[in-house]
Amino acid sequence: MRTHAPVTRRRALTVLAAAAGLPFSGFGRAWASVPELEWRGQALGGRARVLVRHPDQDKVRHVLAHCVGEIARLEAIFSLYRQRSELMRLNATGRLAAPSHDLRLVMAEARRFGTLSDGAFDVTVQPLWRLYARHFAERPDDRAGPGARGVARAAALVDYRAIDLDDGRIALARPGMAVTLNGIAQGYITDRIADLLRHEGLTTVLVDVGEIRALDGPDDGPWRIGLEDPRHPERTVASLPLAGAALATSGGYGMTFDSDGRFHHLFDPATGDSARRCLSASAIAPDAMTADALATALAVTGADRARNILAAFGGSLARLALADGNVAEISR
Amino acid sequence: MAGPERTKPRAPILQTLRQIATLVAVVIVVFAGLFGAPAAAEADGGPIAPTVLNRVFPGATHFGATDGAPPAVPAYRDNDVIGYVFSTHTTVRSVGLSGKTLDIAVGLDMGGTITGAEILEHHEPILAIGVSSDDLARFVGKFEGLNAANPVRVMRRAPKNGTALDAVSGATVSSLLMTHAIFQSAQAVGESRDILAAAASGIDLTGFEEASWEALIADGSLREMRLTLADAARPNADKGGQLYPAGTGPTDPATRFIDLVAGLATPARIGRNLLGARRFNRLAGELAPGDHLLFVAASGLYSFKGTNYVKTGRFDRVQITQDGATIQLGSADHMRVDRLRIAGAPDFREMALFVLPRDRGFDAAQPWRLELMVQGQSEAGPVLATYPLAYALPDRYLTAAAVVPHLVPSSELWRGVWRERMPEVVVLIGLLLILGGIFFLQDLVAQRRTLYKALRYGFLIVTLFWLGWYATAQLTVLNVMTFAGALRTEFRWDFFLLEPLIFILWAFVAVALLFGGRGAFCGWLCPFGALQELLNRIARAFHVPQPRLPFTLHERLWPIKYIVFLGLFAVSLGSIDLAHMGAEVEPFKTAIVMRFMRDWPFLLYVGLLLGAGLFVERAFCRYLCPLGAALAIPARIRMFEWLKRRWQCGRQCNICASRCPVQAIHPNGTINPNECIYCLNCQTLYFDDKTCPPLIERRKRREMRGAAMAEAQADGG
Repeated sequence: MRTHAPVTRRRALTVLAAAAGLPFSGFGRAWASVPELEWRGQALGGRARVLVRHPDQDKVRHVLAHCVGEIARLEAIFSLYRQRSELMRLNATGRLAAPSHDLRLVMAEARRFGTLSDGAFDVTVQPLWRLYARHFAERPDDRAGPGARGVARAAALVDYRAIDLDDGRIALARPGMAVTLNGIAQGYITDRIADLLRHEGLTTVLVDVGEIRALDGPDDGPWRIGLEDPRHPERTVASLPLAGAALATSGGYGMTFDSDGRFHHLFDPATGDSARRCLSASAIAPDAMTADALATALAVTGADRARNILAAFGGSLARLALADGNVAEISR
Repeated sequence: MAGPERTKPRAPILQTLRQIATLVAVVIVVFAGLFGAPAAAEADGGPIAPTVLNRVFPGATHFGATDGAPPAVPAYRDNDVIGYVFSTHTTVRSVGLSGKTLDIAVGLDMGGTITGAEILEHHEPILAIGVSSDDLARFVGKFEGLNAANPVRVMRRAPKNGTALDAVSGATVSSLLMTHAIFQSAQAVGESRDILAAAASGIDLTGFEEASWEALIADGSLREMRLTLADAARPNADKGGQLYPAGTGPTDPATRFIDLVAGLATPARIGRNLLGARRFNRLAGELAPGDHLLFVAASGLYSFKGTNYVKTGRFDRVQITQDGATIQLGSADHMRVDRLRIAGAPDFREMALFVLPRDRGFDAAQPWRLELMVQGQSEAGPVLATYPLAYALPDRYLTAAAVVPHLVPSSELWRGVWRERMPEVVVLIGLLLILGGIFFLQDLVAQRRTLYKALRYGFLIVTLFWLGWYATAQLTVLNVMTFAGALRTEFRWDFFLLEPLIFILWAFVAVALLFGGRGAFCGWLCPFGALQELLNRIARAFHVPQPRLPFTLHERLWPIKYIVFLGLFAVSLGSIDLAHMGAEVEPFKTAIVMRFMRDWPFLLYVGLLLGAGLFVERAFCRYLCPLGAALAIPARIRMFEWLKRRWQCGRQCNICASRCPVQAIHPNGTINPNECIYCLNCQTLYFDDKTCPPLIERRKRREMRGAAMAEAQADGG
């Protein structure tokens, strides 16, 4: 039995305007000469959205229908809520003899991101997640969190290097290890959908499956993406232009275990505790999976190693909302 | 047009009438436009809401406009229609146990599989028996995944082997009707669009003609994907990785990395041309029905097979993806192909056939992708990338064989409905016997004023509360139009038999029309009529003034209802849906069938009519009711005049005329049978020797005679 409370992924990013210079996307749509088509749906328990501008609306609709089938296929692989998903089968037994290409690819990238961030990004933190979720499910008012011994035991199972990907199978080296792809799976789906659209010749595209990937922006300008204030999520604090790249945001505030928000789902793999150096971290990278892992790694490390990690991941911009209220912006 | 005698101008009166009719038709259309939108949204004929479309056909994002016959909404993916969504009421006019609209939205994919079903509208009398709407919704949800070519049986207790569905307990016939509606409409839509035929056979596996490699490539039977070294190296280069260890491997970026060809080999035109008749026939003979053969060939630097499969039993460089399914290829599915028999084939480095068993979810008629995985190495670990080869079986291989599916015989359906509603049927027949008795013995009843009043108001109360609000058996002009429509197209008794109470009522009304006129229905069996009359009685008790319209005006308002009816009828010949909207002129649906649970414009309309009825009794019946008009026209054939008159009526006395609740008595004393509601009020007066002047006179004479005789006796005594 799983003891998780249902997770609702917060949306830290909003698409502000379809066209630069127009304050509301609605206006942009009404005045734009090229029609814009929007699809909204669900992917991995969160809202998903695709915006496409193309003169041939019928073609766009056909391709979008194709995207829906692809999302359904990938959910059957990555979902943490379907008992028979590949990821759940991997977590249940610690090995998967016949993983799909998709899971292999994401796991390989996860390992690589682990190496690039020197462990700040680690998909094997699922045992910590389980520990904290169980603890706060039983004692919601306990401000101390789970004891140090429990944390140490769970943290000992956290090691991305113990993911074995040889011979086209996947194995977790230590018993009890488990993987969460929450985040980069969304990034992967985002990229797959964007690729699918591009293969079909649709290039003025914005895909938003939790993380945002933009192909060409409308009218030769970029898409504009709003970042929410981690302290006041209803407020937008900054807007970033985005074209030919992906933007992701990670922040512990999105899902907390306790009422104070001290314990949240973004763990520092080194300590086993929730990461508290940043309220949130946003990053721009060439693809959504990378942007997502980069944002997560930065949210864990804080400003100190940000420049190195940004370079190692091939990201172009990082924006950290630090715990002391300051904002650090690093670009490359 | 023909000769001069044909072009003679029409009688001016006819022309005027035609103009009036046209005008009224226009007014009705405008009316329908004003009130039609909410009506369409809640009932049949309206478009299915986008949210419902998405729920019953989750595999599609884009839906086209409703079209075709029977009408359905096409669901699209990737330039292809992948199925249809339709309303059971629009396609097969499905009705529920209540005899009212039963409307279910159904999604049907091109394989004949039902992708989902959701109730749009129902009036099943279920709440009374402890079944909730959710139970029905859950039942309808069970149809997802069933194939329309194989209707399931519905049983009170279905066996657990999956051959039948459990009926909603307490609503067996409703379950049966919903099942019937879903399968019947799915088959109607499926057959009209060659879906069900495709589901049964689907792919032309045997058709053969010689074809060269170029021909198979050209017509899409085989698809290619070409990758140069530069293409394959790009994802790795972006991530600091390399395909080949440093210093080894090719360097020219234009080097052919892989030229991959893939296609379905099960159709003879593809497989037999590729493999030759002997091998193809042997393989085809070994395949289980529904299994498919996949042909893959490649040349270039990169092997799509790799070497791991020898050890692990799995091909880790290729996978098939299709509409939510990821299909892995194993060495058990693999057959080597050493040489091709087809003319013009290039030399390949490696070739393979893969068997795709049916149970892995592969649908050869649907597009699929062969995904090739290429792995490189970076300092931080392996870098993987995939490249898709998209394949869609060309239309020439898709067939449409004729499959006639079997449905539950509809006689079984209506019999079930009658069994289920037998108690109501018995009560209604009892009521009609009482009413027949009242008519048959009308003189006896009319002579007893107290008995008459008790019978009259008792009957109206039963008509309103039981027949109307409980059983919702309100006849409407829609029945007339449906009947006429059925006569013009395909007339089926069983369709009308699905509504037992309505059927019995109409049977009774038909006989009553022949015997007496429309009054038997209008005055006694119409729940809305009863409502108006009872409210007017209450209003009178509170001394609400009852102005009487001057007869000349009254008489000129009568034709309105005929014009309304003719307009509706004319519209129904064109569009039954439009006529349905126009039939909102009748307040029956709002006041009786839906028991006032409706949007405010409808309530306002009913309120106005009932308000008018407080001052002018049955104002709606007199001037507007299209059903009354529809009944009055055939009632011209009536055989008898049962209502008694005296020669003095109209000449010396107008009491009946002034007391007639609907002013159906002309000042000259004749009763207009087209307007008469057969309430028998005039008959009670006829026999009332305290009201009817001739009788008063006779009584007085008798009394005088009596007094005189008594006087004489007294004198004599």
